[in-house]
Amino acid sequence: MFPPEYLAVLDPFADEAKKIVGAAPPFDAMPQEIVERAVNRVKLSSKEMVVQPDLESIQAEILSFYLMCQGVASVSFPYSHETRLISNATRDTIRYRMYDLFKRGQEDLCMKAVRRSIKLVELEDGDRAKIGGTNIPREDFYKLRDQKLEEDGIETVDDRVLPQYLPKYGVRWTDIALLLRYRRAELTKLYLVGGWAILTARDLWDFYANFISVRTEEYVQSVYERIAESGAQPSKALVEVGGRISSLLPKELEFREKFARMPAGRLRPEFFPPCVNMALAGVGAGSRNYAIIMILTPFLSYARIAPSGRVATRVADFIDDISIVRDEIAPPIFEAAERCNPPFFKDQPQEKASIFYHMGFGMTTDPTLADSGRSKWYRMPNCSKIQMSASTLCKPDEFCRNIKNPLTYYFRKRSEHTRAGGGG
Amino acid sequence: MEMREATPEERKSFYTEEWNKREIPNFILHTLSLREFGFDLDGTGPSHRYNQFTTVEQLEDFMRNRAPYSAFTSVALYERPSAREGWLKAELVLDIDAKDLPLKTCGCSPGSVCERCIDGARKVAMEFAETLRGDLGLRDVNFVYSGRGFHVRVNDEAVMELEQTERGQIVEYLTGSVIPTDITMAFGYSKVFRERVARTFEALDEGQLLKVKGLRKSLVHRLMAEKARALEAFRTGRFEELSSFKDMGPKTFRQLVEFLRRVNSEFTDGKVTIDTKRILRLPSSLHSGVSMKCMFVRDIERFKLEDAVPKFIREGERP
Repeated sequence: MFPPEYLAVLDPFADEAKKIVGAAPPFDAMPQEIVERAVNRVKLSSKEMVVQPDLESIQAEILSFYLMCQGVASVSFPYSHETRLISNATRDTIRYRMYDLFKRGQEDLCMKAVRRSIKLVELEDGDRAKIGGTNIPREDFYKLRDQKLEEDGIETVDDRVLPQYLPKYGVRWTDIALLLRYRRAELTKLYLVGGWAILTARDLWDFYANFISVRTEEYVQSVYERIAESGAQPSKALVEVGGRISSLLPKELEFREKFARMPAGRLRPEFFPPCVNMALAGVGAGSRNYAIIMILTPFLSYARIAPSGRVATRVADFIDDISIVRDEIAPPIFEAAERCNPPFFKDQPQEKASIFYHMGFGMTTDPTLADSGRSKWYRMPNCSKIQMSASTLCKPDEFCRNIKNPLTYYFRKRSEHTRAGGGG
Repeated sequence: MEMREATPEERKSFYTEEWNKREIPNFILHTLSLREFGFDLDGTGPSHRYNQFTTVEQLEDFMRNRAPYSAFTSVALYERPSAREGWLKAELVLDIDAKDLPLKTCGCSPGSVCERCIDGARKVAMEFAETLRGDLGLRDVNFVYSGRGFHVRVNDEAVMELEQTERGQIVEYLTGSVIPTDITMAFGYSKVFRERVARTFEALDEGQLLKVKGLRKSLVHRLMAEKARALEAFRTGRFEELSSFKDMGPKTFRQLVEFLRRVNSEFTDGKVTIDTKRILRLPSSLHSGVSMKCMFVRDIERFKLEDAVPKFIREGERP
């Protein structure tokens, strides 16, 4: 028998969870086992993800969740690797719990939790599944099932597992726009009919878990901002928990971060034209978008990758290591954005994804080579266009004469330097 | 069809004699005071920005007195449009510019347009609208002839608050620029992708196909000779049929599909769609660069370019 409070285990932001937090001791006085659970949440085994239906276990679960979030907010920042680590761990935990509960016959409990976050309808039954008057062809129905089974690597199915893989629900795709925004779902991967996305229970767990994961990130951000606003140091207990979670980050992430702080590889800033230097120095409110997205992004990507040998349509055609984008091209753009007044991403955080969009990776903040080609790799505008669109950035020097594109300036200056014996 | 720049006198005569505020579509009229207006007053670019009109009569006075070279209005609604502050929401727009269509069969030089290019853009706009309505369940889908192509402007509440990432995903869906996991489903993106790929393949000529990396000349000849069979395979999702063409190995096939996908993505400028603060030509205004009216299109299937020709051009053509 599951008590009403058990819903908090599936939704740590539910009223049931808030009540538990409201009655909890301060974090400094938290029992050691809860502190340990907070740290270990990022590496729970499937068995450990399951919470027993008694009040004590439910309380420990909720308090450890909040301790984990506040700990991370105390030692890192929104969108940090730590935040991503706990957000992903929360997603995996919630998803497994839904899967497990459904398998144990607790479909109603699962659906009660889901319906609080996602508006959904059940497909009309009959000879064929139907939604909004449209029949879902029988073949498509089973193909959707098989796709999901394949995605989860399930070859043999039993009667307890199979129902989770049958298309059964319809959700308005606009109701899951938040997941599209965070790239937790992709429109082209949804089966859409008349505005309805046709989903299996398995999809629902996935979407629902991702909703909770996104809300976890938002919660960390709100705690971080609260800490920054108060000006006070976070409590020692939180810092300790955050520090321990941080130490669990995979080593390669630390390496990547360090690498990202290194000076840009083969880009030669001494050959940059005046407009690019002005954009790199940060600009005022009226020209930020243009300077960062339309000038720096194409300039640095084309200057660094220097595509040759074929038409430049995809970054992946010219590089085989995404770190060139992540660690050499993106950092100076992001730093310039920070130097803008006001900082570009402070009021327009969505523009981070726009940078990679303009490099051809689609709307993402975490590009991979496989994403290359999802959007167009925008070219550097000509000087005349820059003059028209952002005249304040165009302060030509002598070398600009007879040059029509800032990239020409860069390549030409570099080449002249090499020819003069200065090295490439 | 004559497409030439309008003189200042012609602009003046257009705005005093022909322009009618009733030609501004309701989706703009009803939100007029919440939109930013921008103008290009002399053909040097839309630098006269941050304008707000609280009534259509104020706009009318401006248009008649200034006879702008071009007039634009924001896709976004703002609390304070004259400061471009307090963003409330924005239409979902798709810009299909006839001059930028990736495959032209009319022989137009790059950057120029003819009636065939414009009709090509019209068909693309219709395809997008069908998917917006059929797959995405949107209802308030409007068409505007921009003077050199079409704008599809969606005003359903459900999409107006979407941010850039979601809008970018809509572009991917509509254009068919992502290769789906399953190509054979009757509905959904699988069907959209098949249709777009087939449309693109149909428009390709031998020269364009020869540019696809890895496609041998002999294979290109065969694909062209048996285009109907290849097209049918694309349309039905029976891609295995294509492997029966000699020299069409799995790698070559992947390169062909990748090429088609890439061309698909160029049928609209995604940059316009993801820009939630964009200004677009005001329907009813004059596109002075080509002397055409930018106009709201009630029935896209029956759109006639002649309807967009201003009086000063029509009268000039008379013997």
